[in-house]
Amino acid sequence: MPSTTTSYDLVPRILPYLDRLLIFALLEHLSEQKLYPAEVLLQAKYDVMKDTNMMDYISETYKAIHGEDATVPQEITERRKVVLEKLVEFEKKAEKMLEIVRNPEVVNALRSDPAQNFSYVKDNYGVTPEMVDILYHYGKFQYNCGKYAEAAEHLYQFRTLSNDTELVISATWGKLAAEIMTLQWENAVSELLKLKELIDQKSFTDPLVQLNHRTWLIHWALFFFFNAETGREKLTDLFLSSAYLNAIQTSCPWILRYVTVTVLTSRNARKTAAGRSSTYATYQKQIRELVRVIKQERYEYSDAVTDFVYALYVDFDFEEAQTKLAESADVVKTDPFLVGSADEFLESARHLVSELYCQIHQRIDIRDLSARLNLSAEEGEKWIVNLIRDTRVDAKIDFSEGTVIMNHPPQSVYQQVIERTKGLSFRTNQVLAHMLTTRNATAAVSGAEGGEAQE
Amino acid sequence: MSRFFAGGSSDSETESSEEELYSESEEEKSEEELSEDEEESTEEDESEIESSDEDDGRGFLKAGAKGSASRFLRGEESDESDEDESKRVVKSAKDKRLEEIDAIIRTIENARKINDWVHISNEFDKLNKIIAKASQQGDTPKLYIKAIAELEDFMNETIKTEKDSKKKMNATNARALNSIKQRIKKNNRQYEHLIDKFRADPDGFLLEAEEVLEPVSQVKMRKGAEFEAAAAAIRLGAAATAEDTSDAAFSTIGRGGRTITITPESIFKQLRAILEARGKKNTDKAEQIRNMEKMLSVAATIYQKIRVLLVLIATRFDLTTSTASFMPVNQWKSAQEEIIKLLEILEENPLYVVQEDAEDIDEDEEEPVPKDSKPLKIFGSVISLVERLDDEFTRSLQNIDPHTPEYIDRLKEESVLYSTIIRSQVYFERAKLDPSVSRVLVRRLELLYYKPEQLILSVEKLAWSTLRDSLESEITRYSEDEDASQLINAICVKLYNQDNRLFRTRAMLCHVYHHALHNRYFHARDLLLMSHLQATIHTADISTQILYNRTLVQVGLCAFREGMISESQQALQEICGTGRVKELLAQGIQMQRYAQTSPEQEKIERQRQIPFHMHINLELLECVYLTSSMLLEIPFMAQSGSSPDAKKKTISKPFRRMLDYHERQVFTGPPENTRDHIMQASKALATGDWAKARELIRAIKIWDLIPGTDNIKQMLGEKIQDEGLRTYLFTYGQFYETLSIASLASMFDMSEGKATALVSKMISYNDVAAALDQKTNAIAFIPGVEYSRLQNLALALSDKAVQLIDSYKYR
Repeated sequence: MPSTTTSYDLVPRILPYLDRLLIFALLEHLSEQKLYPAEVLLQAKYDVMKDTNMMDYISETYKAIHGEDATVPQEITERRKVVLEKLVEFEKKAEKMLEIVRNPEVVNALRSDPAQNFSYVKDNYGVTPEMVDILYHYGKFQYNCGKYAEAAEHLYQFRTLSNDTELVISATWGKLAAEIMTLQWENAVSELLKLKELIDQKSFTDPLVQLNHRTWLIHWALFFFFNAETGREKLTDLFLSSAYLNAIQTSCPWILRYVTVTVLTSRNARKTAAGRSSTYATYQKQIRELVRVIKQERYEYSDAVTDFVYALYVDFDFEEAQTKLAESADVVKTDPFLVGSADEFLESARHLVSELYCQIHQRIDIRDLSARLNLSAEEGEKWIVNLIRDTRVDAKIDFSEGTVIMNHPPQSVYQQVIERTKGLSFRTNQVLAHMLTTRNATAAVSGAEGGEAQE
Repeated sequence: MSRFFAGGSSDSETESSEEELYSESEEEKSEEELSEDEEESTEEDESEIESSDEDDGRGFLKAGAKGSASRFLRGEESDESDEDESKRVVKSAKDKRLEEIDAIIRTIENARKINDWVHISNEFDKLNKIIAKASQQGDTPKLYIKAIAELEDFMNETIKTEKDSKKKMNATNARALNSIKQRIKKNNRQYEHLIDKFRADPDGFLLEAEEVLEPVSQVKMRKGAEFEAAAAAIRLGAAATAEDTSDAAFSTIGRGGRTITITPESIFKQLRAILEARGKKNTDKAEQIRNMEKMLSVAATIYQKIRVLLVLIATRFDLTTSTASFMPVNQWKSAQEEIIKLLEILEENPLYVVQEDAEDIDEDEEEPVPKDSKPLKIFGSVISLVERLDDEFTRSLQNIDPHTPEYIDRLKEESVLYSTIIRSQVYFERAKLDPSVSRVLVRRLELLYYKPEQLILSVEKLAWSTLRDSLESEITRYSEDEDASQLINAICVKLYNQDNRLFRTRAMLCHVYHHALHNRYFHARDLLLMSHLQATIHTADISTQILYNRTLVQVGLCAFREGMISESQQALQEICGTGRVKELLAQGIQMQRYAQTSPEQEKIERQRQIPFHMHINLELLECVYLTSSMLLEIPFMAQSGSSPDAKKKTISKPFRRMLDYHERQVFTGPPENTRDHIMQASKALATGDWAKARELIRAIKIWDLIPGTDNIKQMLGEKIQDEGLRTYLFTYGQFYETLSIASLASMFDMSEGKATALVSKMISYNDVAAALDQKTNAIAFIPGVEYSRLQNLALALSDKAVQLIDSYKYR
């Protein structure tokens, strides 16, 4: 289905929100998939790289496009020289600074407060703000040259010392990109969270700027899909936090596909992470939230993946859901970000369908259900057995009739009341604790005043 | 008022110019008469003035017999012969004032002798009041200057002696002295130079003053007259006795002659006189306008033309007083033509700019011309004239009966107004008067937003066809294949980017309205939500609130057309649920029971009314609201059935009320109006008779007013099927153990798949306690879910407890 896959292809929409080098990474990924012709990708790669400082790579790509024998244009070789010179110059400039920050004594003395850190190095080593800024520029330059590890290091050092919020944000962006490029997912997640904090905290004078930052962050976060395990949960939280959900709705509804996939697949991650019963409740809540957003944004954006959710949860049209599921399998498999989690997604989707099926039906035809799940009858039966075993669904298979019989016991009133009041005592304690602390705080203030008066 | 109109000619002018005449001729009166006059009371004086008005014609007649020079005079003979008419002394207002002043000054002098400061203080106040009146018309009498100068001296002296002497003044007196001290100081500062003059040469001044003591001296007249005479000349009219008071640079015009020789040179003077007279009583604006029209034909230079036009248009708008309901149509038209003329002049002469912040130009010496290709700024405001034109147009539409051809004729003139607005917009853009551009854009937008696309296009086409080709707007470039939405968008975007919050709000609302009118529900909704207007709209001014209500209603109607019933109901609820629809939409005044509205309030309310052609059809609105309420409420009622809080929760109160009322009726005849149709349909729907409900709803005639009637009816039919099925399951579900999907589908005339989907949805949302059986393809109802009262209460209690916890705010 080439037509549907390209019509569902989101890469062109995503590109404007990415960094040059991240685009490059994405293009690399695309060339593995052969969704686009190789020449086009090469040319695109060349265009992307042209303005970076990775001169060797540029000439290589150039040769790949124009044939092995083609001479690299003059300007590229010249720029190569300039870049090298600059690099040397930067190295010289930053040398002293690097020595200082690499000094183990200094490293040990550094704390979380940049102002304090700066005054420390200033007093002990005579560091000026300009020297700190050099770290930033050097880091940026190295990033442009493709030396991500060094860039990350320098930007980190810069951040521990600088107080300039603008540059710190910029440095954090740089570090996030560098971590992504070097595939340091653990670090990248912490950078992502830090950046989110910075964006949320900073009182942007122009809300539009804030929105743009969020949009970028959302798009950069997509790279976490390359990595199946780490940060998936964080990603779900990020996407579903109200500010970011709003950002998605206003500026980039196409991200909904990724939101859907993260939410649906988060089920498995959670199951392995902790077997608590509340996770299922949060999962349900997330799905509800997702359905709400998809419903709202349907007029602006829909693709096979969101349509699947819509058909399932809004229309309760299992046939439609079935066709959409088949379609979205194709979409997911061709999406550069999602290809890794395609199987996971399909499984979760099947889970959803069968769960809903079980909820609604009393007696289910196994063949029918299998068809709904795009499985053969035998596979379907296996699937159902697994389902019954895994989730505590009260169901039995009637082999002679080829049906599953669901037992829906009416929920007793006692059960309902217990269910509803379950969290109450915990929350009451929470409220009480909160009240006490606030009261103590105010009492401390007024007490101090009152005490003086009494004396 | 009527007197002036009935008179046809210029009574008031005559009156004022007569005053001049009297004052001149009264010089000839003897001193003896004067003293007599002084004794007369003010009251008498006033009546005299009036009677002199009435006697006007008579006076002329008499005069004709007697001869020119002294016909208004109380000539000796006539005086004596008119003895029985009591002592009727004809005096000018000015004379009277002087006499009053004189009297007061004497009282002050008397009081001074006995050192009675309380008295002096009172008299001084009186004096100042009169002087304030007098100086409005001419300059301050010398008599007064002398008096206040002497008073000041005396006061200083008193204070000095007071300090020296041990003897205290009595308390009230002292207080009066203190207060008058302050007032004199303040007051005298105004007349400082005159007082100085008096001090420097008391004798000389006194000499003059003596002359002043006579009611009106020739000298003074000559001095002060120039201005007044100019005014008089413009007021034209009387002055049959060509006894020229002055040899100024104009000639007074004979009443019969009517040859008006307004020279270009005198235009400014005359204009100023008109401006001075503005807002005063007894100025005949119609006459002024006639004069200015003549001036306009005489005006030679561009500057003069602009100046005359500015004053002329403003005066035209002044014609409409608060008593008249709206500006006469012919006046409006001339005003409109003159605005166009003004714009034309301004367009052709880019070096002349009319600005609100321009400085007053002293035009007495020489006429200003733009120098060094720098634009000449002229004080004035074109935009306020255009706005006024628009306001007057709206006002006339508010007051004309919308069911008469007159209304339609008037409405046709909207295109003229619109092209004027566009033209001024183009001018403002070119002159870079940004605030004016926004203001004119708001006006333009408000003429467009409620119109459907085709109408906007035709209005635009008509307007641009009247304009010259060379005119082009930056913001809204006109082209043949124009898109109405783009036009609205362009205007709105421009307005979003300016600073005035009110304009932004209004532009936003108009934009939403336009989207909603063209069935772009999501655009409209998103824009409305993003504007966050719901939170702040109650602080806006009333006309903006009305616009907000209109917009909200339009969004609701749009949602209905798009088949989004619950969205529509929500949007309309706020307006239609109140029962004050007319008032909220400003489409007619609703009589409030138990509410007392004062006439003023009613008048203000009338001024807010939306002109008829912009109305949203109220009957259609009600119909849409009730229908959508029915579709939501009937299943809801069936669902809540017997549960204890069923009575409390309602989706739409008005709908419930009407339904109750309808059910209480003993006999129900066939439905007559929209409401009957919907109520009967509701009853049918509640019993599961969806086909009858559909028939009844489709029979409502007013759907024809919605474009795409058939689609709407189709949509409603489907909704009724769906809701009918839901209602049926809610109501009768408990009586079944199983229910075949096939029979259910055939009962509601829908496909099995759809029925399954609907039932699945209900099961999934826990609306009904049931499950599907795939083998038999039936719904199996799960028995025994009826709760006892205690159980229900326990559930409610647990709910409340959770709510209570949720409502705690962590701070």
